[in-house]
Amino acid sequence: MSGCAVVGVGTEDRGDDAIGALVADRVRELGAAGVTVEPVATPLELLDVFDRYDSVVVVDAVRSGAEPGAVTVSVLNESPSPARRPSAGTHGLGVPEAVELARALDRLPARLVLVGVELADVTTGADLTEAVAGAVDRAASEVLRAAEAR
Amino acid sequence: MTHKSTGDRILTVDTLARVEGEGSMRVQVRAGTVTDVELAIYEPPRFFEALLRGRSYLEPPDITARICGICPVAYQMSACQALEAACEVTVPEDIRLLRRLLYCGEWIESHALHVYLLHAPDFLGYESAIDLARDHREVVEQGLRLKKAGNTIMSVVGGRSIHPVNVRVGGFYRTPSRDELSMLLPVLTEALADAVATVKLVSGFDFPDFEQPYEYVSLRSAYEEEYPLESGSLVSTGGLSFTAAEFDDYITEEHVARSNALHARLRGVDAYVVGPLARYALNADRLGPVARAAAADAGLGPVCRNPFRSIVVRAVEIVYACEEALRIVQGWHGAAVPAVPVPPRAGVGHGVTEAPRGVCYHRYELDAEGTVLDARIVPPTSQNQRSIEADLLRFVQARLHLDDHQLTHDCEQAIRNYDPCISCATHFLDLTVERS
Repeated sequence: MSGCAVVGVGTEDRGDDAIGALVADRVRELGAAGVTVEPVATPLELLDVFDRYDSVVVVDAVRSGAEPGAVTVSVLNESPSPARRPSAGTHGLGVPEAVELARALDRLPARLVLVGVELADVTTGADLTEAVAGAVDRAASEVLRAAEAR
Repeated sequence: MTHKSTGDRILTVDTLARVEGEGSMRVQVRAGTVTDVELAIYEPPRFFEALLRGRSYLEPPDITARICGICPVAYQMSACQALEAACEVTVPEDIRLLRRLLYCGEWIESHALHVYLLHAPDFLGYESAIDLARDHREVVEQGLRLKKAGNTIMSVVGGRSIHPVNVRVGGFYRTPSRDELSMLLPVLTEALADAVATVKLVSGFDFPDFEQPYEYVSLRSAYEEEYPLESGSLVSTGGLSFTAAEFDDYITEEHVARSNALHARLRGVDAYVVGPLARYALNADRLGPVARAAAADAGLGPVCRNPFRSIVVRAVEIVYACEEALRIVQGWHGAAVPAVPVPPRAGVGHGVTEAPRGVCYHRYELDAEGTVLDARIVPPTSQNQRSIEADLLRFVQARLHLDDHQLTHDCEQAIRNYDPCISCATHFLDLTVERS
């Protein structure tokens, strides 16, 4: 286990839900040393990433009531995920469930940070809203800051 | 949410937990008798059938894979089979076996997810897999290992672990080398041991004493040694026997006002059940030796009519999928070609395969250029929906003495017996979009 992994979670063609993957793509373009962008097909695969890195930054669309496009940073390995509600994904287990499952199995990385981008619309087939699309660079900066703070 | 008054009772669950997709349930009790059960689905309906019209015949495997993140292979396999049938093409045996291997990966992944993370917590008295993991770490780790083995097959054969990108009409874009498939051997050997342990674990659970006189429907493979997966014709415990091309003659779907999902009826029978219990009842003789021994050790007879014990049958099917995947990998010598040409042809084709949750039917009508003129998709969950409601009606009647919290929990467990994939079940036959 070493280095820092960045994981963008989300689905294309579901409006703002794609933001996680877009931010991860931007981080890859920026190419910071010691930072690896890891793809996951489902949130449950986060556990395999947790096994391989000391530090993991997860980027995902979040819904907290803040202004669309607002970027929030939460350290998850110290306290339970702020989001714990019935799955928002159609596959039964979303990011909060995967993180809590990893915690229960003692498989969390030494440092786990969630960079959340407040979403506005996740309509099937829709593009990102302007507010969320405009958050890519800010979110990518927060990801790199979180990655370097390890 | 519960409302209670003398003799009358309405039990509602607004968001069903630990099922795929989103749905809700409403049970109505009048003067001590259960008068109505509704399983309602409110996820936005899926418009795939309408979306497919006007598309190239090469597109449905990739488009329909998006209906479900848990069983994309089922959609790809049924779509390929139907489109190849319409074009009168049969794929070579090595391609058929590779498809079967990919399907084994999906069964292992989907069944392991359901058995360990969605259903086992019910039997062991936990609210979720997370709570279960706190007390029984090894149990959950075993399930995650199995699920990962399924993912690995999907990645090696399908190109990635969900929504595989390597499947095409006529075969695959690229076939794995013998060396690449050999890398699966240690993974599958460990998975087989985990799967046998899974059967042992779940067969020790306590099951409610509950049986139903289901009519079971599943595929029966034309290959004598094979449990049904990627091909076959349909059979039922009542003695019906029909081909994919005759599906429409035997099974009708109707829209029910309260739900976006369609409810299916079997001709002359009405409600019926597809999925693990049905496959097992109609194909137990086709299980491999390890799966057959595991089923016997678990005390499964030739037919299981207790839906709560479906978790045991699902576990036996994981054993089979591991055994079968090993058999295919060990015998693999490479494919002569990754795919065969499938020139378009005007016609109608039908495809039917065994998704983890049961029979998945596709029908496509093509013109001479290969444009899709019409598409029909019948997923397993819509076929089981009437039986789920019938189970709930009887199950609740016998448990009216329980308090609402316990009764609600038990009802949810009864629904989870079917591993319902509600995302798959919601689709419309006809869609008119009026634009101003």
